[in-house]
Amino acid sequence: MIGNFFASIGAFVLGLIEAFFAGLSIAGRTFRGVFHPRGRARGEVLAQMYQIGNRSLLFVTVTLGALGMVLVFQVCLQINKITGDQSQVGPEFIRGMVHAFVPILTAMMLATRVGAGIAAELGSMTVTEQVDALRMTGVDPVDYLIVPRFLASIIMTLVLGIYATVIVVVAGALMAHTAFDVNYAVFFVFEKVTWGDLGVGLTKLAVHGGAIPIVSGYCGLSTTGGSEGVGTATTRAVINSSLTVIILDFVISAIGLMTVQAGV
Amino acid sequence: MGVVTTFANFFAAVGAPVLALCAEVGGILTLLFRVLWCLVPPRFDLDETWRNLHKMGVKSVPIIVLTAFFTGGIMVIQAAVFVKKFGATSLVGWGAGYAVFREVGPMLLGLMFSGRVGSNNTAELGTMVVTEQIDGLRALSIDPVRYLLVPRVISMIVMLFLLTILGDVVAILGAALFGTVLADVSLASFWVSFSQNLHVADVVHGLIKAAVFGFIVALTSCHFGITVKGGAVGVGRAVNNAVVAAALGIVLSDYLLTYALP
Amino acid sequence: MIRCDGLCLTLAHRPVLHELGWEIAPGSVWGIIGPPASGKSVLAKTLCGLFTPQQGTLHVDGTEMTRLPEPERVAVRRKMGMLFQNNALFDFLRVWENVAFPLARQDPSLSREALAARAGERLRAVGLAGSEEKWPSELSGGMKKRVGIARATICNAPVLIYDEPTAGLDPVTTSKIYDLLTDLRLRHASTVIAISSDIPALRRFVDHILFLHQGRVRYCGPEAGLEACEDPVVHQFVRGLGEGPL
Repeated sequence: MIGNFFASIGAFVLGLIEAFFAGLSIAGRTFRGVFHPRGRARGEVLAQMYQIGNRSLLFVTVTLGALGMVLVFQVCLQINKITGDQSQVGPEFIRGMVHAFVPILTAMMLATRVGAGIAAELGSMTVTEQVDALRMTGVDPVDYLIVPRFLASIIMTLVLGIYATVIVVVAGALMAHTAFDVNYAVFFVFEKVTWGDLGVGLTKLAVHGGAIPIVSGYCGLSTTGGSEGVGTATTRAVINSSLTVIILDFVISAIGLMTVQAGV
Repeated sequence: MGVVTTFANFFAAVGAPVLALCAEVGGILTLLFRVLWCLVPPRFDLDETWRNLHKMGVKSVPIIVLTAFFTGGIMVIQAAVFVKKFGATSLVGWGAGYAVFREVGPMLLGLMFSGRVGSNNTAELGTMVVTEQIDGLRALSIDPVRYLLVPRVISMIVMLFLLTILGDVVAILGAALFGTVLADVSLASFWVSFSQNLHVADVVHGLIKAAVFGFIVALTSCHFGITVKGGAVGVGRAVNNAVVAAALGIVLSDYLLTYALP
Repeated sequence: MIRCDGLCLTLAHRPVLHELGWEIAPGSVWGIIGPPASGKSVLAKTLCGLFTPQQGTLHVDGTEMTRLPEPERVAVRRKMGMLFQNNALFDFLRVWENVAFPLARQDPSLSREALAARAGERLRAVGLAGSEEKWPSELSGGMKKRVGIARATICNAPVLIYDEPTAGLDPVTTSKIYDLLTDLRLRHASTVIAISSDIPALRRFVDHILFLHQGRVRYCGPEAGLEACEDPVVHQFVRGLGEGPL
């Protein structure tokens, strides 16, 4: 039974690696498409930015606000038990949010919302032969469908990430004040955030923003099989985008730790 | 006249999504009551339940293990910054365990579970609606809620609970491993700090959350699956909505539970 | 002129086409028939270069297609117009934009007004004047087919491929669609390939038949010779018999 356990994980990882290389090929074509736009619809990037950004605003506000409050609550609770000194909570919390939690949480939320949406849309188009019809008229589906979403997602993930940081810090401050009587002035201390932290946080947001449409676009375009296929593709897109985000986050964190944040 | 129309348009624009939201929430609550009704007294199809347990549990193990492993790593990297500054190697085991058991474990695993099992469930139910299999069941006087949905709800709660236990273990192992490699925290000191400072209550806190999250994922995925309209496009949209709703539900209930539980 | 030799195609680890050979003379009208899942749609898409066979050769007007990279296939596809089995109308574009899409790709210099005019003229020809501004989701099945035909024929391509032009339509609409296809063919002397499960209506339209069963050619020749074919599969299918190899 142990053998089966490892075999199933092994098979899963091999499947991921195969998908990884296919995804790299799409990524390559996407990058090329960014620099050589060929007959793409005007304003498509803006339309996608609206889809990704504006329509995720409420979702991001609610989820990150709640998470900010929960995290501060847990941390303050523990600090109370150990040292009772809440003055460090604010600055360290803000720092942790900027380079660690906000990028990955925003990206995970977007991987579910945006990733599922892109896969569902592209999957439906593939299953109803619209992608074949595009190819018939000489349009490259990656160029026409994925590249605008790629550009829009990078920009919007950065914007949403910055917005989410504000929300999270404000929500955390509110929680600290109402539940633990921490003074706002003591909480809102930004000195501890270094340029390295900022760099790591923004890099993570940009990279996650780019990865989600590539992964979920690939899942959408490789759909087979009718309405069942679209459901399967959407599922795969959510899992694979989330997993890609987690792994990329880990890699960037490790690199950040060893380079720009080393001398902290 | 222009001002009045602008106000009217504004209210219409705000009102429409609010009404749509109310309709969805109402639908989910209705489903909740129907499911609970079928549980008291418990009469549901055991074969279906067993089949779903197997499908949802066994197939999710690889992704849960992978997620948990890297989550442990990420936790340790965050802690490592403090360790380097304060030399606080003795806190890493405790910190990682606390965060994983109480918050990060249930939440991230819940989200991955929603992405894997929840969306698969919605897609499956949605396809059954589109291919008129649900109507077929009703024509045979079989209640779809009792036959299809209740086994899935039970399976998802049980499975997320068990998978969170597995995930917690893997995350701690991952944290310990990356602790030695990236933050110079010896396995011994990790274990000491871990075992001395963490209590069963912390683990239970997380597991209760996992059960509740499982229930939320089950309700949202079943509701959006069974109310699909519109063919292949409708199925994709339903999966999208289900995943978003489940994520919202998980985050909000996490917020409430963090207060309510010790 | 289209010629293929020894085409073998595998999709998702399942063999779909076996040793397929076929020659299509310019101006001829072919029908592809056969039981479900015989590879008819796959063959049509292979002729356009949308699928790449693992073995065999495909020549379209002298150009060998199977080893050609994707960007170069586009030039060959310009000579073909295709109506897809499920219409494949772009649901994010209005009807006239759908019809004008291939034309816009082929000739980027045309203004929006010129494209709209050409699309409007095509829609009138297929009997859908007045539907220009509608969205595909607002159309009935028969109307969607007509829009698909308008889109396939707007560039006056010399080769036209229709995948199930009358599937799911009532007998009257079926008749009207075939009248439309005949009319279009006579105007432009194009080569036409039509796939259909409605054998009687199809046989009145075409002059040659290709019968596919499990990816192999069972009959390839004039429409009139179909009855006389001795292959048991063809024999059973053409007569609609319940007993036999199928």
